[in-house]
Amino acid sequence: MDIKNNRKPIIISHFDDFFNQVDIHKNKNISFHHHLRNGDFILNRVLNKYKEYNVMDLNIFPSAVFPTYISILELIKNNQIKNITTNYLNGPVADYISENGLPGILTMQTHGGRARSILEGRNSIDIAYIAVPYCNKEGNAIGYKGKNACGSLGYPIPDSEKAKIVVLITDTLVNEKIENPEIKGHNVDYIITVDTIGDKNGIVSGTTSITSNPIGVKIARNTSKLLYELGLIKEGFSFQSGAGGVSLRVTKDVKDIMIKEKIKASFFSGGITKYHVEMLEEGLVEKLYDVQCFDLDAVKSLSKNENHIPISASRYANPNDNQVIKDLDVVILGATEIDYDYNVNVTTDSHQTIIGGSGGHSDTASEAKVTVIVSPLIKGRIPVIKTRVTTITTLGQNIDCFVTERGIAINPNRKDLLSLLKNSKLNIMTIEELGEIAYRFTGIPKENKSEETIIGVVEDRTFEVIDKIYKK
Amino acid sequence: MKTSAGTYESSDCLITLSECDTLEVVIESIVFEQFGDQIETVIKSTLKENNIDSIKVEIFDKGALDYTIKARLETALKRRGEKNE
Amino acid sequence: MSRSYLFIPGNTPSMLQNLDVFESDAVIIDFEDSVVDYDKDAARLLVKNFLNKFNFEHTEIFIRINDADSRFFLEDVKITKDLNITGYVLPKALPKSVLALSNLTDKLIIPIIESPMAVLRLEEIAHTKNVRGLLLGAEDLTKELGINRTVEAMEILYTRSKIVLVCNAYGIDSIDTPFTNKDNIDDLLIDTRTAKNLGFTAKSSIHPNHVEIINTTFTPSEKEIFEAKRIVKKAEKENKGAFSLDGKMIDLPIIEKAQKVLEKAKKYNLL
Repeated sequence: MDIKNNRKPIIISHFDDFFNQVDIHKNKNISFHHHLRNGDFILNRVLNKYKEYNVMDLNIFPSAVFPTYISILELIKNNQIKNITTNYLNGPVADYISENGLPGILTMQTHGGRARSILEGRNSIDIAYIAVPYCNKEGNAIGYKGKNACGSLGYPIPDSEKAKIVVLITDTLVNEKIENPEIKGHNVDYIITVDTIGDKNGIVSGTTSITSNPIGVKIARNTSKLLYELGLIKEGFSFQSGAGGVSLRVTKDVKDIMIKEKIKASFFSGGITKYHVEMLEEGLVEKLYDVQCFDLDAVKSLSKNENHIPISASRYANPNDNQVIKDLDVVILGATEIDYDYNVNVTTDSHQTIIGGSGGHSDTASEAKVTVIVSPLIKGRIPVIKTRVTTITTLGQNIDCFVTERGIAINPNRKDLLSLLKNSKLNIMTIEELGEIAYRFTGIPKENKSEETIIGVVEDRTFEVIDKIYKK
Repeated sequence: MKTSAGTYESSDCLITLSECDTLEVVIESIVFEQFGDQIETVIKSTLKENNIDSIKVEIFDKGALDYTIKARLETALKRRGEKNE
Repeated sequence: MSRSYLFIPGNTPSMLQNLDVFESDAVIIDFEDSVVDYDKDAARLLVKNFLNKFNFEHTEIFIRINDADSRFFLEDVKITKDLNITGYVLPKALPKSVLALSNLTDKLIIPIIESPMAVLRLEEIAHTKNVRGLLLGAEDLTKELGINRTVEAMEILYTRSKIVLVCNAYGIDSIDTPFTNKDNIDDLLIDTRTAKNLGFTAKSSIHPNHVEIINTTFTPSEKEIFEAKRIVKKAEKENKGAFSLDGKMIDLPIIEKAQKVLEKAKKYNLL
């Protein structure tokens, strides 16, 4: 453990005072986390001070950028931001960068990659601004208590261990002791108290409900049947699915199989929703390793169930840590595009606008024994399958199965899976055949990718640049 | 006089026809970059099949496939014919 | 011998172009209740263009046209008569309207039984030319009777049984009424099992998410297939009209029933 100092953090009760005490002109590498998502008040409030102080050449390291993080856009337009390093980017900031780029470069990392970069000193953070929902005067903090509880604080833990100056910002400062804090007080330099760190309603992600759209239901059903036929739903298996409607439907279908066959899973990891919590409470899974809560039920569960365990981004997916996903059997992931080499894009749309990023996509795909991509074959006349994805988020070598409503393609590298499916009644075909079906409906879309100006790079957690992002 | 057919739903399009001395096609589509040319081709060939060379066609497209674009245009043309009767 | 008949709205491209995704043995593209009056023309041209462009090998396609007394009926048939479809589903059927349709087309016809008069005159309807099966429309029927639908479905028991008997006697398909609660999968299963136990050969549905349960229920179970195989095998060996198996008397009707089970199992790829 990295013990930086043993002094107590300085408590500041007037937000503005901090900026008189610390020279923000000298410490230009600053980081934030996105656990409060669209309900976050802190990132904008802090960056507005940078605007006021006219700090130039900033390098910002938010773990993700959400549509409400509008101060970033203002700073970019003021030419105050040089580089942005993040794992996920959407909304107005993403739109603006897609069309204009940055004075420096946009680096799209992964959750595991960001944690590793910070811990190994590659992302050198000067000041980490960490909004925390519940904090004591020693600087020990957790995310699952307080009036703006957001659940796990998985993303900023590496920042808190490595940043030169660690600043907690809280609306709930208490005297009592905090057991097993996520942020450890000995790493903390300042605590700033504010009226509120966010709006609880914006904290909950908008996408966490099971789809009943018939196409989504069909994709999920195909997926759970595939997992079953591959023998992956077995006693003690581990599983991760995101919060997308189809992913959650897969989780529900897997749950039905588990109940019917009396199977118990060892753990679920990643972003946690009420559906995962229900399965924990019903004894269908032993542990939840939670790097991020997607709804308030998950937050509540984290505060009371000892088998629902908050973990840091490093423990989640840093290849040089004792990562949870090392033991992952199955991960279910989405795709905006997939190509004939199984490369997957969730970073940009087909018009080269940045709409997201890896998050844990590429990390979990690298580790899970079987990585399954679920997607409709066609989205608004655009076939999901392309000759080459617009931007590679996750390399095809890490993708094993692609499940659509009309059929399932298995990466030809996975001869073991193909042989298990030799007598399957599932509609198994090559990805080229699936592509042809899509193109029969849609016709051939015109490709007009612009590749003149590089505005960003996609960096895997190996630190390898796996693709470039171009200006629209 | 205007006639129209179709809806604003996903995978559909709304086509509106109005009088014009020349042939004018106005396309608004969520997939314009990929399929704008294709949409125009379908519209023009359908008009040709119906021997129409002067009309204004406005299409608001939410990812309709060719058959839908053709059907909506044919419906709007048919409605135009009925109004003229 | 379709197990499932899925209704698909006729003027909704997103549903049409996915009609074969849900693995319903047959789909019924609807021009009636799901299409508003001012868009009947649009639905006809949409479906015409759609079916001229795409072929479906594994799905039977029917069109539910508007009833014979409506002003849409003749045009519905006229525009669709040359399309590659298996047949028509005719709402508000009575002997006269079924006959009228059968004089306009050589395609198969599935009349919907949804009035007390239709129930009384089932046999006349069933033996009209090209009638492939009868479909129960319980919602309209109970509306006409002024009674409520219930989960137990006692209110339609007589009609269901009568349809099954008539269809069986005339060698045509009997297709049960759709289950209307989209999300209540438990009751759907009960309702579907009831239909199968009463003797229906198929069930219709108005939601794609219902198809899988219907298909599973109307597919012979592993046990049924196993038994049928034993009976047919022994029958071939014994080569006589009646014999005993496990102490039970097996005669011709039982052998024929077993053969039917195997035929179905073969069709659905279960052998």
